[in-house]
Formats: sequence, C-alpha cells, structure tokens
Amino acid sequence: MAPILSLRNVELRRGTDFILNIERLDFRVGGFYLLVGPNGAGKSTLLQFLGMLLPPERGRLFFDGTEVRGAVMRQRLRRQITLVEQAPFLFDASVYDNIAFGLRLRGVRGDLQRRRVKTAMDMLGLQGFEKRPAKALSGGEIRRVALARAMVLRPRALLLDEPTAGLDQSILPVFEGCLKSLRDDGVTILISTHDAAQVRRLSGELLGLEGGRLVAPESSPISRLHIA
Amino acid sequence: MDFFVVSLQAAFQLLLSLDAEVLTAVWTSLYTSAAAIVLAAGIGVPVGTALGMGRFPGRRAALTFLNTLMALPTVVVGLILYGFFSRQGPLGTWGLLFTPLAMIAGQMVLAIPIVANYTVAAVAGADPRILTTALTLGAGPLRAAWQLLLEVRFGVMAAVVAGFGRVIAEVGVAMMLGGNIRGYTRTMTTAIALETSKGEFAFGLALGLVLMAVALVVNFFLNLLQQR
Repeated sequence: MAPILSLRNVELRRGTDFILNIERLDFRVGGFYLLVGPNGAGKSTLLQFLGMLLPPERGRLFFDGTEVRGAVMRQRLRRQITLVEQAPFLFDASVYDNIAFGLRLRGVRGDLQRRRVKTAMDMLGLQGFEKRPAKALSGGEIRRVALARAMVLRPRALLLDEPTAGLDQSILPVFEGCLKSLRDDGVTILISTHDAAQVRRLSGELLGLEGGRLVAPESSPISRLHIA
Repeated sequence: MDFFVVSLQAAFQLLLSLDAEVLTAVWTSLYTSAAAIVLAAGIGVPVGTALGMGRFPGRRAALTFLNTLMALPTVVVGLILYGFFSRQGPLGTWGLLFTPLAMIAGQMVLAIPIVANYTVAAVAGADPRILTTALTLGAGPLRAAWQLLLEVRFGVMAAVVAGFGRVIAEVGVAMMLGGNIRGYTRTMTTAIALETSKGEFAFGLALGLVLMAVALVVNFFLNLLQQR
C-alpha cells in the first residue's frame, strides 16, 4: 500500500535559511508518529506543509501515491487531512457551531451532524458545553474543542501541533485516550511534542527534526534527555 | 440672542407639526443615503477584504489610492459625476442628472473608500489563525474569507456606519447631482443651505436639528461597534 503522505527533496526557506529541508519521508496509512525537536526545528512548518497550507518551494509531496500539484488539489486534500494548531483558534460562535463547522462544509446536516458532534464531545468530556460561547472557554477547554472539531471530521490524517502544551494534567488521559481510539480506527496521526513523558506513554514512531532536517530521534535533545 | 431663541422655537414647532416639507427633505436624505451605503458596502467590503487579506503587487498603491479618495472633496465628486451625467457626458442619454439616482451614485462613490478603508483595517487586524483554521477544516478560499468577515463583523459594521455618516451629512454631491429640486431631490443638507440663504433660518435650524440627531445616533452606533 502506498504511504498516505510522502515527501521527496522538499525545501522551504525563509530568506537564505532552510526552515524545512527533507530528502525523504514517508507516513504509512494508520501510522502513529511523534515529532520531536527543539524550538525552531521546523516542526510547526512541517505540520503546516503536510496540512496543505504551505506549498513547497522545491521538491514533491505525494498523497496516496499521487503527487500534490496546485492550490485546487491542496484545497481538495484539506478535506482529508486536518491540522490542529499549537494555539487553536475557535470561531466567535457556540462550542456546537465550532465543532460542526467542518461537517457543515461537507454537507453533513440534521441528525447525523448532531450525533457526530455529540460523540466527539462525549469522548472529550465536553458534555453540556454545546451552547457555551467559545470565547468564554479556558485554554484547556479550547484545546479539547479544537480536537473535537478535528475528530468529528474523521480525517484520514490528523496533524497535532503540541496538543497538550499547557493542558491540565487531569485532562491528559482523556486526550490521549482519544488519540489511541483514532489510531485504532486507522487514522494516521502525527503529533509534535516537547513532552518526553507523553512520548513514552504514546509509544509511537519517533521522528526527530532539527534545523528543518530530519535527524535520528535519539540525537534530538528531548530524546537524549528523557527517552533513551 | 432673541433671534436664536425665536428661531429655535419656530424650528421645534416645524418639527412637532410634522411639516411636510421638512419630512420630505428628511425622507429624501435617509433613503438616498441608505441606498448609497448598501451599494457602497456591496463594493467596498469585498475590495477592503481583498486588500486586507491579500499580498499582491500593487496592493500598497491601491491602499494609497483609497486613502486619497477618502479625502476627496464632495463637490469634486459631484463635479466629476456631473460631467458623466450631463447631456453631453458619456452617460447623458441615461437622463440621470438631477434625479435621486444620480445622488445615490455620487454618494456611493463617496462612501466606497470609507467602507473599503475601514474594512481593510478590520481585516488586516484580524487574528491570522482565522484563515488557516477555516482552510484546514476544509473551507475554500472564498468560504474562509467569509468566515474572516464574520469574525470581524463589528469592524465591518463600523465601516458601513461610518460611510452612512459621511453621505448623509454631505452637501456637494446632493447639490450638484440632485439639483435641490423641492419634494424630489431636496435633502436635509441642501435644504438647509437654500432656506438659510432665503432668510428661512428657522426652517434650516429644524433640519439642522434632525441632522444632528442622525449624526448622534450614527456616532453612538459607531462607538458601540468599535468597542466590540
């Protein structure tokens, strides 16, 4: 089976500096990957690139074995890959409307929409939050709603940028339980993290990134300090 | 001082007796300005959104041009459009000169730069995560732009209210393109100018009071929206 996402000789620069310079990287269908590396290593850029938000300056990106070309194709593929950013943004609407946003774009309405939103909210302990204004939520609640909003779309690949940074420790088991459940459903998951304990708990495949380049995970500072 | 007091009393009497001529001028002002602002919003909001969101060649020049248009004297706008609508002008056959339609067109031209500039400010100041969030949840570029506008809706409403404030208080366009025809194109501002020059100070004062009340209401809403 072709990898769900493949990068070949991908380069992205800011001025003369590389912010991403990856020769070869494959993500298999249903894989669970943990991206580690210091601040400024290019983790968020890689996630945005894989989330089809940034075009490559050089190199090629493949989805399901087909090369991704042009803005229209990237837009179409964004319906199969969902990115949850490091500081997620919730729209100025209710929690329900935020979670249902992507479903409405996909034409999912009525009972089916309500059921899917409820399932995602239940999984993340958000029962009773439906009518709450998103702008009144705490940081941890925002992250949970953002994850529910991504999960409800049942994407083929889910990209999470430091999803547990600043999250209440009591919520972590709920959060990680959701990730495991998604993994069991065959969703390809890529998480960037600084949390060494989380790396151990989630036991995914480690990817190290430094200066925009892939490095052996064991050479990444986070790995050297906490994983080995 | 007596002159002022007596005129003010007469002005209130005109207002309280619902003087037909006063009411007609108020109505003409309100409906031409309302129509102009609806049309101006239809053009100014998309233009402002594109300029606020986009990074394209000529953007800076377009912004400078819009800023310049904001300072354009109303009488100059009236003069230019007079050239277009007069019998010898390129649109002379349409027979629009000295009609409410010509006034609406002129006021629309006055309001577009204001609506567009305020919209640029609202959009450019918006959280950059709005667009990436909408895109990664599967929105196309237009839907993402619409979401951005929904998020900055109070800024856009302030743009429209500011535009309305500008056109209802202007006199140059209404005078030059409307011709100040009694009961047809006579607005509050043109009536004030005419009646005062005829010595009907109380009549002018009555309309001035209404205009001030409208300005107060407009500014009240503008402040309210800018605080959101």
